Amino acid sequence: MVTLEQCRRTLGPGVVFFCERFHAAPGQHTALWGPSGCGKSTMLNLISGLLRPDSGKIAVDGIEIQGLSEGKLDQFRGERLGFIFQTFNLLTPFSALQNVMLGMRFSDTVPSSQWKPRATELLKRVGLGQRLHSKPGTMSVGEQQRVAIARALANKQRLIVADEPTGSLDPKNAAAVMNLLLEMCAEQEVTLLMVTHERRLAERLPNIFECTGLVTSEEAA
Amino acid sequence: MSLWHIAWGYLWNRKLTTILTILSVALAVGLIAAVLTLREETRKRFEEEGQAFDLVVGAPGSPLQLVLSSVYFMDNPTGNIDIKLLDQISSETEYVEKAFPVNLGDSYAGFRIAGVTRELFDHKWVNTYGVERAPFALAAGRYPEQPMEVVLGAAVARQTGLPLEETFISTHGMIDMGDLNVINHSDMPYKVVGILKPSDSPFDRAIYTPLESVWHAHEGHSESATGDEVDPKTMITSILLQLSSPGYRYQFQEILSQKYRVMSAIPVKVISDLYDKLLNTAKTILLAIGYLVVVVSSLSILIGLYLSILQRRRDLAIMRALGASSWEIFGAVLIEAFLVTVLGIVAGWFLGNVVTFALGQVLAQRFGLIITTFGIVPDEITAFATVALVGILAGILPAWQAYDSDVARDLAER
Repeated sequence: MVTLEQCRRTLGPGVVFFCERFHAAPGQHTALWGPSGCGKSTMLNLISGLLRPDSGKIAVDGIEIQGLSEGKLDQFRGERLGFIFQTFNLLTPFSALQNVMLGMRFSDTVPSSQWKPRATELLKRVGLGQRLHSKPGTMSVGEQQRVAIARALANKQRLIVADEPTGSLDPKNAAAVMNLLLEMCAEQEVTLLMVTHERRLAERLPNIFECTGLVTSEEAA
Repeated sequence: MSLWHIAWGYLWNRKLTTILTILSVALAVGLIAAVLTLREETRKRFEEEGQAFDLVVGAPGSPLQLVLSSVYFMDNPTGNIDIKLLDQISSETEYVEKAFPVNLGDSYAGFRIAGVTRELFDHKWVNTYGVERAPFALAAGRYPEQPMEVVLGAAVARQTGLPLEETFISTHGMIDMGDLNVINHSDMPYKVVGILKPSDSPFDRAIYTPLESVWHAHEGHSESATGDEVDPKTMITSILLQLSSPGYRYQFQEILSQKYRVMSAIPVKVISDLYDKLLNTAKTILLAIGYLVVVVSSLSILIGLYLSILQRRRDLAIMRALGASSWEIFGAVLIEAFLVTVLGIVAGWFLGNVVTFALGQVLAQRFGLIITTFGIVPDEITAFATVALVGILAGILPAWQAYDSDVARDLAER
């Protein structure tokens, strides 16, 4: 499902990300684990096409994305990737329902007539059936992350990339959100790549990839 | 969730800034709309009434003064002419269809008393918009038949409250009744025998009486154009002419000048010239101010959107992560500029027309000019399109900034 080979990306003077090889099979749940600053988020940005590698190969769902045009990359993200961020990143002017519908707005995967029913169904599934029309500012952090999970799955994505998804939550909410994320990914049979610096959280996933990608340019050479 | 929804969502999210920006556009558009509407509507009205007569003949002086006094009852007459001219000019049957003498002299409560003949009340014409105009139709009573009987224009009846059968004392000239040096004709009161229907024209603002009434009132103190004391029965103020074809206006004006040595004016031309010379300058200055305000408003659109983009770089990056293309982001921001501008134009049009409506009340009171508001004059379409274009142009820079953003960096910012 996701493969990185000899992937290199210069991030600044003397700082390079390098990954010799990474592979995640379809439907596999993998934790990208490592201390802060080790290149976990950079690796996630490369896999999602938000950053381009200087060299090497990145394949997602059979598509080599390093050579895709900007337009194709946008399409690729809209159709195949779901994002979950540490700070939820919901769009504040819009309700929970509209935020989830926005997840479908930018690709043709789900017909527009189905946006509202699907968004409603997903929000009910994550336990927010009573908060469909609430704005993010009026929701708790746990509720906001639930909306983000629903949005990430709205487009029937094949791959979910989650960057420290419980990083902003208290332990109780973190556990609940984590359970929900794993349940939903299993239900929808999507591949999950989750960045975390917490070993305990990483161990909840069947696969752990220890990220040591960020090196100085001398080491990379 | 179209791009329009998204754009509107962000505009609504910062209501105060949006409303203030819309207001600034509205002020500019309001000024432009008011200037254009007032100019167009007053021009149309003046020209429409000017078409009532093809030519006006009067004593030497300013053609504008002659037209304003005899056709619009707004100014003092240029002087008097010999009544013999009426028969002489009427005999030019090749050119003249109807000739209506007018004798101006007295007034009542600031309204001109016009001595006319019975034929004037039957005068009708079709204006350039194809509408038949008959401003002397009776609403009540009858037309005057005897000297010192009058029929009131609709505005005169409304403002003075004079009922049928009431009598009143006129004042010499256009002097207000409150003036201490007023010369009044207390020995010869006028009697109201009829009231005209409103015609939304300057004809509503005069009092009509047979020619003989004015002669009666001025026996012993009438002057010719040369200043000599004369018998008032030999003098009239002007002659209003309806020609057999409007195409004869210039030709017959030349004949009047060469053959009869009298001054004449073409009301429509005089009014058009007045607009071109005087009001066009005022219009240009006011429009320039209006467009200057448009530029300032566009800057406020630009600054407002620019700051808004800076504040929501992260939101735009999220949309990119959700699959929005750079062009969709560009489009959403441009739509915001467009929405603000269009709402500003709509609000400005409304504001401008409210102002025009208010000024229209004053024009109606003072000059009998009823102007139509809450419509769109042709020049406004061009003006509004220009404002819309400027507004959209103001959105391009912020839209480009949004288009050209670094998604990974903006997402990483906490």
